[in-house]
Amino acid sequence: MKKTEYHPNGGVSPELNALDQLDPTDTAALAQVGVLTEGEQRAGTLILRDFCPICIPNRTEGLELLPIATALEKYDWLREKYFWKAVPTDLDEITEQCASQQEVYGYFAWVRKGAKVLLPCQAALYMASDNITQVVHNVVIVEDDAELQLVTGCVTHQNVYSGLHMAVSEQFIGKNARLINTMVHDWGPDVTVYPRSGTFVEAGGCYESNYISLRPAKIITSNPQTRLIGKGASAKFLSVILGVEGSMIDMGGDIYLDADDTTAELAHRGVCTGGEMHQKGLLIGNAKCKAHVDCAGLLLNVGEEGFILSIPGIKAHHPDARMSHEASIGKLAPEQVEYLQSRGMEEREAISLMIRGFLGADIDGLGFELEDRIAEITELAGHGEG
Amino acid sequence: MKENNNVLEIKDLCVYAGQKELLHNLNLTIPAGEVHALFGPNGSGKTTLMMAIMGFSRYQVKSGQILLAGKDITELDITERARWGIGIAQQLPPAIPGVKLQQVLDYVTAANHQQVDNVGQVAKAADMERFLNRDINGNLSGGEIRRAELLQLLAMQPMFSMMDEPDSGVDLEALKVVGELVNMLFSDDPVHPARRKAGLIITHSGNILNYVHVDKAHVMFERQIGCTGNPAIILDTISKYGYAECTQCLQEGV
Ligand SMILES: Nc1ncnc2c1ncn2[C@@H]1O[C@H](COP(=O)(O)OP(=O)(O)OP(=O)(O)O)[C@@H](O)[C@H]1O
Ligand SMILES: [Mg+2]
Repeated sequence: MKKTEYHPNGGVSPELNALDQLDPTDTAALAQVGVLTEGEQRAGTLILRDFCPICIPNRTEGLELLPIATALEKYDWLREKYFWKAVPTDLDEITEQCASQQEVYGYFAWVRKGAKVLLPCQAALYMASDNITQVVHNVVIVEDDAELQLVTGCVTHQNVYSGLHMAVSEQFIGKNARLINTMVHDWGPDVTVYPRSGTFVEAGGCYESNYISLRPAKIITSNPQTRLIGKGASAKFLSVILGVEGSMIDMGGDIYLDADDTTAELAHRGVCTGGEMHQKGLLIGNAKCKAHVDCAGLLLNVGEEGFILSIPGIKAHHPDARMSHEASIGKLAPEQVEYLQSRGMEEREAISLMIRGFLGADIDGLGFELEDRIAEITELAGHGEG
Repeated sequence: MKENNNVLEIKDLCVYAGQKELLHNLNLTIPAGEVHALFGPNGSGKTTLMMAIMGFSRYQVKSGQILLAGKDITELDITERARWGIGIAQQLPPAIPGVKLQQVLDYVTAANHQQVDNVGQVAKAADMERFLNRDINGNLSGGEIRRAELLQLLAMQPMFSMMDEPDSGVDLEALKVVGELVNMLFSDDPVHPARRKAGLIITHSGNILNYVHVDKAHVMFERQIGCTGNPAIILDTISKYGYAECTQCLQEGV
């Protein structure tokens, strides 16, 4: 095993500014998290490779995707109205450290009023060198009546074993606007990841967040804060996570329902084959609203140390807040596996079909080498479970 | 190549669940082309027998043999037995969250396009289409589970099919559908309906036998097959005198 040392400013990457400077191993890593480096299927692309932004000029009307530093120079209002406005600098050590950085890395995505960006826009936070600390700050603005589908891939190069990734993300969703953010994480085994994010959703706006991490880091703690501040705003969160031996994953999610007719759904799906997995989430009803939180865990051969702790939370301050929660943890029962075997399936085929079923149809559309990953989980689940 | 004409042959089978003996020196033979009924009081071991023939791990074979078409399958796992041609419609199959009936049917029919069409038609005829994209066995009524199980067997076309109480919890109208599905499964050649595949049907009421002809019946008592004979006579005796009479006959060694 390699010794872990963090270099705050990291190894220096060579200047890169065009996609063709990525080598095939880079492209492969990015593809794992749904970031495509070829073809016309994306509205815009920004890749942060270690500390070097690679930006493909986007041709999409109404969309601007830039390195955050460039955007801060270009638009004074960004710092005044948005930068550090959805996440406080003094939230914790992570945000303090992000705020104290001299150089700011990350992406800025801005969709102007009424613009509907049809193709997904993609951003990658990519750690290509071992033992670096990547600190990023992202801002997404979707103005009134606009729509954006964002694919965010966070990934390490195949040779990266350890590192530290801290990310502040601030998202602003205007009236009747819509943001779908699909985040796929794929980390080296000894990487520590601290995302800190805050989102505001105005009246009639809609925020949908899908978080997929099927090759987990050593430590991930995330507790995104979402505030539904306008009437009829809605938020929908789904996290799909694999925990393995030695990993510590703490997934939360606080959603404040501050205005009438707001709705929130928060769902965690965790497969634990070892390590610690915490599933949390707190819905806070401050108005006439509807909200549901659902945690589901699957334990597979976790050994003595592994566990899932599920704590779905609801808190109501308003008599017309309709809130509910549910949580369940289970295993793949031998009689279920054997039932499928009695239809002619191999044990492995049965287990992988069940894992796929557990994770849910929602992840189907994501496709990113999902089959491979489910096969890996099936291996981790071990044969002859029971 | 075959030594004999028996599809199923069970010899001196002893089955345990943990320390508990559930089947004791059980013998049973089902010749090719025959469908048999299996009666017996609650807890006598009927379900155990079927699950042991299929190879479910809760039921461990301690001694004895199970032969399928002359081949010893006692050591094979469930998958292999299914692939050799054994199929089961369980009485209380487990629900599997997220796994759809259609996915299982797709798996089973993957290699056979003709079968895909057939199964689709049967699903339609049996009013099963709306269950195809629901979780398998999840939130289904008793009668719906029966039909879903039979649909899977029809897709698999096993050489030997077992059904655990296909008529329990099924209303009269649905029973007719179930009966048709079972007949379709056994008689896959419409020109020669009497040429059948082999099978075993557990029933308490015998209701299914109003639709499906069986060649023989067996009665289970205390972990063994106690009596074998004409299905109609056995069913008559059980319904007139109850199992006590049959037990008597066993004790007399008739
Ligand atoms: N896994 C098990 N562990 C211990 N005992 C078991 C197990 N499975 C079944 N038994 C017992 O074995 C006996 C036979 O059970 P089985 O289910 O085969 O009966 P059956 O003939 O199918 O009854 P029924 O008509 O009620 O369906 C019963 O006494 C039952 O309690
Ligand atoms: Mg039974």
